[in-house]
Amino acid sequence: MNLVECTVLSNRELSKGNFLLSLKVPRAFARPVPGQFVHLRVSGQEEPLLRRPYSLEGFVDRAGIRAVRIYFSVVGRGSRFLAANPKGQVLDLIGPLGVGFSPRPRRLPILVAGGRGVAPLLFLSRRLRERNRPFVFLYGARSRAELYGVREIRGGRLHLATDDGSVGFEGSVLELLGREWGHGRHTPLSAEIFTCGPHGLLHEVAEFARRHGIRCEASLEGPMACAVGACRGCPVPLLSNGGNGRYPAMCVEGPVMDATIVDWARLP
Amino acid sequence: MKPSLAVRIGSLALRNPVLVASGIIGYGREYERLVDLSRIGGIVTKTVTLRPRAGNPPPRVHETASGMLNSIGIENPGLEGFLEIKVPILRELPCSVIVSVEGEDVGEFCELVQGVDASGAAHAIEVNISCPNVGPHGLRYSTDAGMAREVMRAIRPLTPLPLIAKLTPNVTRIAEIAEACEECGADAVSLVNTFVGMAVDSRTRKPVLGTVLGGLSGPAIKPLALAKTWEVAQAVDIPVIGMGGIARASDAVEFLLLGSTAVQVGTALFADPGLAESCVDGIEAYVRGMGATSVEALIGALEVPEGRGVIRAGCRPAREGSGS
Repeated sequence: MNLVECTVLSNRELSKGNFLLSLKVPRAFARPVPGQFVHLRVSGQEEPLLRRPYSLEGFVDRAGIRAVRIYFSVVGRGSRFLAANPKGQVLDLIGPLGVGFSPRPRRLPILVAGGRGVAPLLFLSRRLRERNRPFVFLYGARSRAELYGVREIRGGRLHLATDDGSVGFEGSVLELLGREWGHGRHTPLSAEIFTCGPHGLLHEVAEFARRHGIRCEASLEGPMACAVGACRGCPVPLLSNGGNGRYPAMCVEGPVMDATIVDWARLP
Repeated sequence: MKPSLAVRIGSLALRNPVLVASGIIGYGREYERLVDLSRIGGIVTKTVTLRPRAGNPPPRVHETASGMLNSIGIENPGLEGFLEIKVPILRELPCSVIVSVEGEDVGEFCELVQGVDASGAAHAIEVNISCPNVGPHGLRYSTDAGMAREVMRAIRPLTPLPLIAKLTPNVTRIAEIAEACEECGADAVSLVNTFVGMAVDSRTRKPVLGTVLGGLSGPAIKPLALAKTWEVAQAVDIPVIGMGGIARASDAVEFLLLGSTAVQVGTALFADPGLAESCVDGIEAYVRGMGATSVEALIGALEVPEGRGVIRAGCRPAREGSGS
């Protein structure tokens, strides 16, 4: 982990309010693990006050140029500032930070993505492909227009779901997961789940995994101040502590965590 | 010639007047790759309580206009955990270490001060009688001069280390509390802790923070913090450590000008980990610009027109027996 300067290589609006940002980083930026994040100063100005944590959509290390990619939606003040950065803008970031996904050997990874939560899972799918590992990618979004990166998912079996049925299965990605598991070809010893998306979806995926005894890692999202474990501003409630005991910090013990131990009902 | 930036807080000699505030960089190690501690005056640790604390439910932080609300709730390993896990780390840090403590009653404050004193890891102790996030007790000790006095009197005989009383701004007359701490043996006062604040989400019709109320920090509070620090600097003779919203070197200089002997940087360091170091550089440049050889020339050098900016006598109770 380091504080490094970065330069905007491109910042494109791919669909309404959804951007793909590419940032050139120096050699001092270590090769990230899918699921890790960067703590980004989102503007060259003094506003907003705090950095924003963003999971990486990808990492490029080609012809001597290193770049990180971030897929983000304009949802608030920080992302509005981030969207306004033109090519050539210099920003800085701290990273790579946190714990990423950890696929186990000889298990089939089932990736379950909801909405813009697809970003770190695209990164994971590329790493799996590099290692010639098969995977299943289940991806749900509101509509065809909001799907991102579908053509980049190669080397695995892809199933899409949309709320409006404009492409793929009409319904939730959770139903896709139910069908995938329902075929009976997977067991908790042969497959595992990696998921990212709205916390409501992650809660449901975690319940599904717990019910079937499946190992399940989820990438969490939330506001952070320091992002290095010092300020204790991003606590993750656990089922075991019932309001007491220790809160892991999302920034250093996450953002990827065992989904079946998180108390989703108490996580905003 | 390089000007001297050294200052003293009681018997504690600091290489320069820039400290990192409590709750910002944990116990030093978390930020070791981002902050060069050998260049700054020192750090104030995350507050240590007698028993471990899990802290408050999420969300604990929320950004506001040029500020941040927090309701962390002093998540810390407790005195025993601090001695075992944190003290070995603190001993290795290349800067002064001020350990922040907070008790739920006078007895706990005494145990904490004795424990920290015996650890050998502290160069001074900051007595946190002002956290807004730990129920009524903490805040009560520094909103009530009588209770602040009680704590300071009890702990003063227990350690030769400099005792720094950290004050809350959530009071009508902060100078009264500062004077009480001075009378009872505090070597310095530090201020301000956060202002009690709140955020509301109109979409969900719920408070944003898990605890409803939290503490406001960041550039938004700087003018308020300057006013409180000014008021206290007028009232006491012991060193004042000023803080609240410092985001650049010129902010630090402002706190020194109105009479702070040292400053603490906080929230803005989350965005700019190099902030404490750039404050040191900026203060040095300012001293040089004054043509001075020491930062002492800067402390309290604010030029105030005669009779202005003083707390009018009629607004302020007598020092003793005011029956507050």
